[in-house]
Amino acid sequence: MKRPKTAFFDFACCEGCQLQVANMGDTLLEVMGLIDLVEFREVMSEKWDGDLDIAVIEGSITDLHATERIKAIRKRSKVLIAYGSCATIGGVNGMKNSFDLDEVGDCVYGEGRWFFPTEQTRAIHQVVPVEYAVNGCPVYIPEFLSVLTAALQGIPYAVPDYAVCIECRMNENECLYDRGITCLGPVTRAGCNSWCVNNGNLCYGCRGMVSSPYVKGMKQVLEKHHVPIDFVVNKMDMYNKCRELDRNGR
Amino acid sequence: MHDIQYYLLKKRAFSGFISRLAKVQPLAAPVRRGEKNYAFELVTSANEISLPYIPTILPPKKYFFPQREVLLEFDTRRGLHAGPVGVAGPMTIFGVHTCDLAGIQCLNMVFSVRPRDHNYLIRKRKITIIGLECNDYCDEHANCALVNASLPSGGYDLFFTDLGDYFIVHVNTQAGDDIIDAVKQFQPAKEANLQDLAALRERKRVVFRNEVALDQRFLPALFDISFDGPVWKDLDERCLACGNCTQVCPTCYCFDIRDELNLDMATGVRYRVWDSCQTEPFAKVAGGENFRKSRLARQRHRYYRKFSYPFAKFFRFFCTGCGRCSRACMAGIKLKETLTSLISQGGEGPWKR
Amino acid sequence: MEKIVISESNYQIRKARIVRTKKLTPLETLFEIVLDGDRSLDHEPGQFIMVSLFGIGEAPISVASSPTMRDSFEICVRAVGRVTKALHALDAGDEIGIRGPYGKGFPIRIFEGNDLLIVAGGLGIAPLRSLIQYVLDNRRDFGKAHLLLGCKTPQDILFADELDQWRRRMDVQSEYIVDRAEQDWTGPVGLITTLIPGVHLEPERTFGVVVGPPVMYKFVIKELLAKNIPEHQIILSFERHMKCGMGKCGRCQIQNIYTCQDGPVFRYSAVKHMSEAF
Repeated sequence: MKRPKTAFFDFACCEGCQLQVANMGDTLLEVMGLIDLVEFREVMSEKWDGDLDIAVIEGSITDLHATERIKAIRKRSKVLIAYGSCATIGGVNGMKNSFDLDEVGDCVYGEGRWFFPTEQTRAIHQVVPVEYAVNGCPVYIPEFLSVLTAALQGIPYAVPDYAVCIECRMNENECLYDRGITCLGPVTRAGCNSWCVNNGNLCYGCRGMVSSPYVKGMKQVLEKHHVPIDFVVNKMDMYNKCRELDRNGR
Repeated sequence: MHDIQYYLLKKRAFSGFISRLAKVQPLAAPVRRGEKNYAFELVTSANEISLPYIPTILPPKKYFFPQREVLLEFDTRRGLHAGPVGVAGPMTIFGVHTCDLAGIQCLNMVFSVRPRDHNYLIRKRKITIIGLECNDYCDEHANCALVNASLPSGGYDLFFTDLGDYFIVHVNTQAGDDIIDAVKQFQPAKEANLQDLAALRERKRVVFRNEVALDQRFLPALFDISFDGPVWKDLDERCLACGNCTQVCPTCYCFDIRDELNLDMATGVRYRVWDSCQTEPFAKVAGGENFRKSRLARQRHRYYRKFSYPFAKFFRFFCTGCGRCSRACMAGIKLKETLTSLISQGGEGPWKR
Repeated sequence: MEKIVISESNYQIRKARIVRTKKLTPLETLFEIVLDGDRSLDHEPGQFIMVSLFGIGEAPISVASSPTMRDSFEICVRAVGRVTKALHALDAGDEIGIRGPYGKGFPIRIFEGNDLLIVAGGLGIAPLRSLIQYVLDNRRDFGKAHLLLGCKTPQDILFADELDQWRRRMDVQSEYIVDRAEQDWTGPVGLITTLIPGVHLEPERTFGVVVGPPVMYKFVIKELLAKNIPEHQIILSFERHMKCGMGKCGRCQIQNIYTCQDGPVFRYSAVKHMSEAF
């Protein structure tokens, strides 16, 4: 089997997902045996501007330059994998969309802001078609590998469309609400094997919401636990602000 | 054969008993988990065990029907080769409450229906069960009296009842008797001990009273007339569809089957993993239709799968009264309240006291 | 820790080989399959199998050929999911895994001596083809046979060549209709329900056998009842998602019935009160 030409690219992000991949250890060597890696800024200096079988995209689209660049990558790639929250759901970059763009520019660049024109943050699929998504901040490596093998097999990968709670209970974690901690697990898409809760953290909703989250019910639950709504909206917007672009666009 | 059915285990001998039992084969017992919860875990000494305990996060079902269970190991380099699968070997579970014994009995029925599920049945034969009586209610969520699960009725090899400074132990099977012989900490019970046990059971009949104002034999008829009842609409308003209720239930057994391919792109496993009828995609078909799209239909399905459908098939309720679904529900949906609403909405009928 | 080996799993597959593929439409392909050792699948018309591709998964697919064809069997697959899309990449000579057959098929013994009105919508023709072929292979055992077939457009018609053969037979009456069509379509345009009133039938000895997309059932059943076909003589086959095929996994449950074991073929009288059925 001919190894597919594969490149990793990054847009607005922390490059942490690339780091996850770069840090896979022996598994990375196995992956290298499957693909013909032609560009991956974090692990190699070579560049590639030819056609690609697989383009793996980290980061979100936040300015005109990025929009043009992702469109060009799309044009020369057979398969596009968005990976990491920034790419799949806009992620933390989406928080920008809660503010006026001029205000954002002022705050970050002050006087020089005219040299750095900015746009609303968008997830990759909100700009170009995407074949596969690996959610998470950072990506959960077992899921990344499942998606990669699916892409190599040429078959779809379905992100689970149910709450993190399903996996969290299977891991027999104590529910964080039993300890008085607000957790976004009940409305967040599973697929991470409740990675954060297993390790003593809580769910921040980095994988995006289930396709029909019951918002009213969630509010009722939070009221019962005396959690202020503003607090939770902020918490949800931390990763999921770009979701409203999906709703308006569809 | 020797015909002694009851033995004593002094509390001071309990620690020695557990240590020796754990040496016979792996031993699971209730252990503290987090601030308010418990879980069955492998233990080697008595001080790891937490007694008394409220029902564990997951029922002991997980040892019979694991959360994730490999069904086949395949290797496509050898044609369509799928080899047999090795699973965890014999073990003992100590401290199984009567509600969870009932749960295992329910699953035994389900997985014995043809075509039989050998994965389950083989595991089941290798597990020794030591039950433990609840002298009082664990908490306000339990409804074991409603479903006749507050007193032991089989399903164990040994059964422990705490009678102050000693446990009285009922030997139900040869496997149980083998433990008595192997561990050598027991002495035959005397008439006075049996009287103590009888007194406890008498007291329990007063403490454990049907938690819902309904004779359980009328439950199926009540469910028969309640399919379109307003109570489901109320659950629809509250349920988040998080799936906690089904994941913790001792009698839920829905599962998904998935393949996992290794990076050699040739070998891997086919496994089954617990699934939940509460998730939105569960009853969706390839064409896109979803036959239980609303949370209403999904919650109703859950209740009917406990009180109606299995009754018609197995003449048994698939609710064991453990209270886990009520304890785990984010939205505060309580099983006893749902049943109470059903009764009050059920109009005239034998269920109206 | 000591290990137990589970060697008799119900999930073990039987090896099979694709011997022929035929593209019916851009989405649907017919696969002819031979079981390892040239054994017969020994199914009943209307039963289904689990098709298995290691590393991808399993999918329930109804058998589209009659058991009277003993050396091989056929399945008609629409590429919609992981397994079905991957199947479409396979060709003659490739190996696949099979479990089954599972479920209760059409009540053939009860059909014998009676008339059949077979109503197929879209991919519903696939399981019905196993019945139609069986009836044609044992033609004198059955009464009148009437086939109604509906599709979205003429391009979506499956088994067009076989339909033409059936149309030429004197012992089958068949009519085809499409939801919409270009000029070159000479047949009727509209919903399949519009064909039913014109069928001449004796309701007391007619079985209406209906398979199609979920939305079709309600309307077709209404028309069949209007023709006075008794409820217990209306036979349906349901499509549900299935994982195990053995009445355990819960996916295909319709209230208290498991489609995979109790069905997929049901009498309308047995399921008409079930809101989750339609």
